[in-house]
Amino acid sequence: MSAADRSLPVAKTRRQVPRAGLLLGGLVLLGAVAVLSIGIGAHSVPPAEVVRALFDYQGTDDHVIVWDVRAPRALLAVAVGAALAVAGALIQILGRNPLAEPGVLGVTAGAGFAITIGSALGLAGGQAGQLVFAIIGSVAAALLVMAVGRQSPLRLVLTGMVLTAVLGGIALGLRMMLPDAFDTYRFWSVGTLAGREQEPLALPLAAIGVSLLGALLLSRPLNALELGESVAQTLGAGVARTRTATVILITVLSGAATAVAGPILFVGLIVPHLVRRPAAGSVPWLTLYSMVLGPVLLLVADIGSRVLLPTGEVPVAIVTAFLGGPMLIWAVRQYGAGTR
Amino acid sequence: MFARRSMGLFAALPLVLALGACGSSSGSGATETSDKKSETRVFAADNGNVTIPARPQRVVATGYAVPALLQARAPLVGISSWQRGEPMMSDENLATYKKLTKVAGEAATETNYEAIAEAEPDLIILGVPTPVLGDIDVKRLESIAPVVAVGPTVPGQWRDVSRKHADAAGVLANYDTVKAEYEAKAAELKKKYQGVLPQLKLGHVGSYGDTSKGTFQREFGGSWGTSIAQDVGATYYGKVKKPGPGSQSVSEYPSIEELPDSLGEADAITYSVNADGSVPPSVRYVMESKLWKNLPAVKKGMTFPITYTEAATYGDAPKTLDAIDKSFARLLS
Repeated sequence: MSAADRSLPVAKTRRQVPRAGLLLGGLVLLGAVAVLSIGIGAHSVPPAEVVRALFDYQGTDDHVIVWDVRAPRALLAVAVGAALAVAGALIQILGRNPLAEPGVLGVTAGAGFAITIGSALGLAGGQAGQLVFAIIGSVAAALLVMAVGRQSPLRLVLTGMVLTAVLGGIALGLRMMLPDAFDTYRFWSVGTLAGREQEPLALPLAAIGVSLLGALLLSRPLNALELGESVAQTLGAGVARTRTATVILITVLSGAATAVAGPILFVGLIVPHLVRRPAAGSVPWLTLYSMVLGPVLLLVADIGSRVLLPTGEVPVAIVTAFLGGPMLIWAVRQYGAGTR
Repeated sequence: MFARRSMGLFAALPLVLALGACGSSSGSGATETSDKKSETRVFAADNGNVTIPARPQRVVATGYAVPALLQARAPLVGISSWQRGEPMMSDENLATYKKLTKVAGEAATETNYEAIAEAEPDLIILGVPTPVLGDIDVKRLESIAPVVAVGPTVPGQWRDVSRKHADAAGVLANYDTVKAEYEAKAAELKKKYQGVLPQLKLGHVGSYGDTSKGTFQREFGGSWGTSIAQDVGATYYGKVKKPGPGSQSVSEYPSIEELPDSLGEADAITYSVNADGSVPPSVRYVMESKLWKNLPAVKKGMTFPITYTEAATYGDAPKTLDAIDKSFARLLS
């Protein structure tokens, strides 16, 4: 138990039951949405056949669709949703800015810039090539931002914004001059979970898994940091170490998510807002809730992306944008009501 | 597909000038008026009836008109870029293509109006589909020279479109020679495969699928990937579920989940590959799917790569015929 948690023993005891109940409910919801995601698609697979595919795989076309197309996609949605939501929660805590989202560290711009360069060199035409360039770009951008802005959260965010603008401008210029680079970028630039089942996803998914675990371990020191640097130092939390570790986690989570799915906005912004009230100021609970609600939101958006239009799928990033706008307004109104 | 690319290339002056002096200006949809100083005629184009020189001497061509007029030896003085056609060009045409002034890029939006004006054309032939015309300032071009816009609305229409390009440029005789060579070759192959091809239900996977959406391109009869094989006697079964304008009437983009529904009945499957024989990423995505490996045609080994499926002229299409012949040869063994 951290010093910060020890300071509120009564409140903690009273809130733990509903918090745990909410988490359990969230996990049940996540399971239900994941099953629904595996059951819905362009080709109609009867529910009984979906169940049979899961427990008695025979290699028929329906079973292949469930196991080799839809299940990897659902798994990807869970990983990307959790990564973006937790990265969003961490950057909002670290930057003390409720409007911060993972992209402010320049990760998305770095990935887009690297893919533009890769396309211009003729090396990022395929999905695997794009994945590699996106990872390189994300990591390089984040390292640069950390190197320049590590002294303070504000400087970090400002550096990220400046780098985003610079990389975005250069990449835009290159794309205007190089139609092939533009062609590659325009397909990547709208985040999607479709067509990823053949990509080498093991490494990015493993990185997301480890980072989520790291975020949980880091959530207690962050709890202390939320009280302010001087208080955190008084409570024995290593401020510099915690901040550096948090930036690394944000980089890996958002970089890996962007690399495998492309830019998906709003998840990292909206989910922490939605779970802030039930978390009641506890960073560990905020992290856990984000880890569950992020995948739920992305899975629901992904299901919507398959069924909303009769003409075919729309990229999931478009659906999250449509969902995210109203949800953000709702969350902000709730937030305002709570502070009055 | 049409919107993705829309421009191209050309050359060869002396012969064309000679041909122009004796060439016939009559053609489909064209009427002629006489003027001893400068003969003109009215040409029916996508942008209306246009009065053009009966024997153009300086032609600027863009888009699909580039390969057609290169092969027909039209008097070109400026062309658009046509990179996708380069692998199919003969050495002579490629040299002419490279030598000619480029007055536009691959896209209609990359039209260089000043370069066109500097070329001093007496006729501008825009080989772009009608929707793409919106990206071009036609009025500005009309202030330079008469503008004839002729573009395909469906892929298989390249035959008529390239004929109109040649007609407008006054090189119809050359066009007919090239066309006759193609038709003779196609007839020869049709005879060669008449014992096997007509009995097969074929499906085609095109190279314009979008892996970022998890889709593939299924092409039906009359599309880029199929129309030349049809000239050899191949029968592509099925039709688009929800037909749309242009190429959407002969090809569709189903989800990879729908691969068994789309190609499950095919006896044989053809697929587009690059000029060097490599498989494009969008086709590789399909072929690496377990659903592909489950298809009856795939299990029987009845899959056939075809190069040069983007051929859009009678001059290019013989290369496609050669590729089809090479790929289908094992049907006869």
